[in-house]
Amino acid sequence: MNIIGPDALVFGVDDIAACAQYLTEYGLQPVGGGRFEALDGTAIVIAAKDDATLPAGLGTASMLRKTIYGCADQATVDAIAQELRKDRDVKQLADGAIESVDDLGFALGFQVTVRRKLLDLPGELSNAPGSAARRPVNSVAVDDGMAAKPRTLSHVVYFVPDAAKAEAFYAKRLGFITTDRFTGAGPFMRPAGTEDHHTLFMIQTPPQMKGCEHFTFHLGGPTEVLLAGTRFVAKGYESFWGPGRHRYGSNWFWYFNSPLGCHVEYDADMDQHNDQWTAREAAMGADASQLFLFQHREKWAPGGPPPGAQRAPGDH
Amino acid sequence: MQEVIRLCHSGEIAEGSARGFDPKGSGRDTMFVVRRDGLHAWRNACPHWTGTSMAWRKDAYLNADGSRIVCAAHGAQFDIWSGACILGPCIGESLVRVTLIESEEGTLSVDISQLETST
Repeated sequence: MNIIGPDALVFGVDDIAACAQYLTEYGLQPVGGGRFEALDGTAIVIAAKDDATLPAGLGTASMLRKTIYGCADQATVDAIAQELRKDRDVKQLADGAIESVDDLGFALGFQVTVRRKLLDLPGELSNAPGSAARRPVNSVAVDDGMAAKPRTLSHVVYFVPDAAKAEAFYAKRLGFITTDRFTGAGPFMRPAGTEDHHTLFMIQTPPQMKGCEHFTFHLGGPTEVLLAGTRFVAKGYESFWGPGRHRYGSNWFWYFNSPLGCHVEYDADMDQHNDQWTAREAAMGADASQLFLFQHREKWAPGGPPPGAQRAPGDH
Repeated sequence: MQEVIRLCHSGEIAEGSARGFDPKGSGRDTMFVVRRDGLHAWRNACPHWTGTSMAWRKDAYLNADGSRIVCAAHGAQFDIWSGACILGPCIGESLVRVTLIESEEGTLSVDISQLETST
């Protein structure tokens, strides 16, 4: 199955205005119809929670109503429809897309991907001694006005009551590959059409938690994650976890609370894997989930007391 | 040992709104007050996960119509009057109430010893 990754996540929300402001200030572009796009056209879509056109909710506090996967071509969409029709309803939508559910009840959509190819958007280069890939001479890395925009929808994380059952569905029915795993918690999975370490991670939780833990968009590099997060904090948004760097996937992260009933992350520089990769496994915990973690604080500058003042013992 | 810290005048919290406070000067709001048919004060800590801050933005603790407290980590919803979780990850658990001290002039204060122990 040549599934590339998530094209869009659809939420049925309580506060449309708050979510619209949040997603816009997070860095997505409002394009109308409740759709907020990254640079490549992948998106978050919001609608009122009682919108009759949305798939049913999960019966929990989760506001996620549908995960829409982008496929390489219509043949892939048709093949998925044929596979899922073996044991469940598959709705054919007007635009050639299809809609169904996974084995845990999460609504899924499949469509020919809307992703635009990103051109001329360089990643972050560093002047690492000994490295051939360095910034050109006289090229300045940072400035106050530099862009830090979400480039593409990276991944979604589900809370699921049966991670083994969920993993089996995505692997056997949709061709997802498990790249790594937290013992007893759940798998990191990627569909066959991408080499990203994961576009889906699932965490075993009690049934009342079923839903979306977080979603995230890839940015251009660690500096952009820290800059976008810093700007988001400055606008009054609530940091939850980060900034830091994950172990599995190696992606830089910064998580925030949100009015969408889940966390929202900035991430960058995720590992790429192919079929030669052997999945690792570790117990889930702080040491396994982060290589290091910073904590946001107000900007400061090192320095001593004013001239002539008594130097405090803690000054350096 | 009692240490009472002034929060604000009660008139500064409008009916149907919430406001967070950091009486200990920790750098983050550690409690919030909701005015809805009276004043209701709670620690800013979702029972789902120890110490989880609940707002998604400064003072944003309520749902759209102001009828419920919402944790913006995973959407848990709480009754404003009892603090009980009625939907979400921590059903059956409750927010920790903070006792407000209101003077005759309407000044709201708290004894910050209530905010010392983690939940």
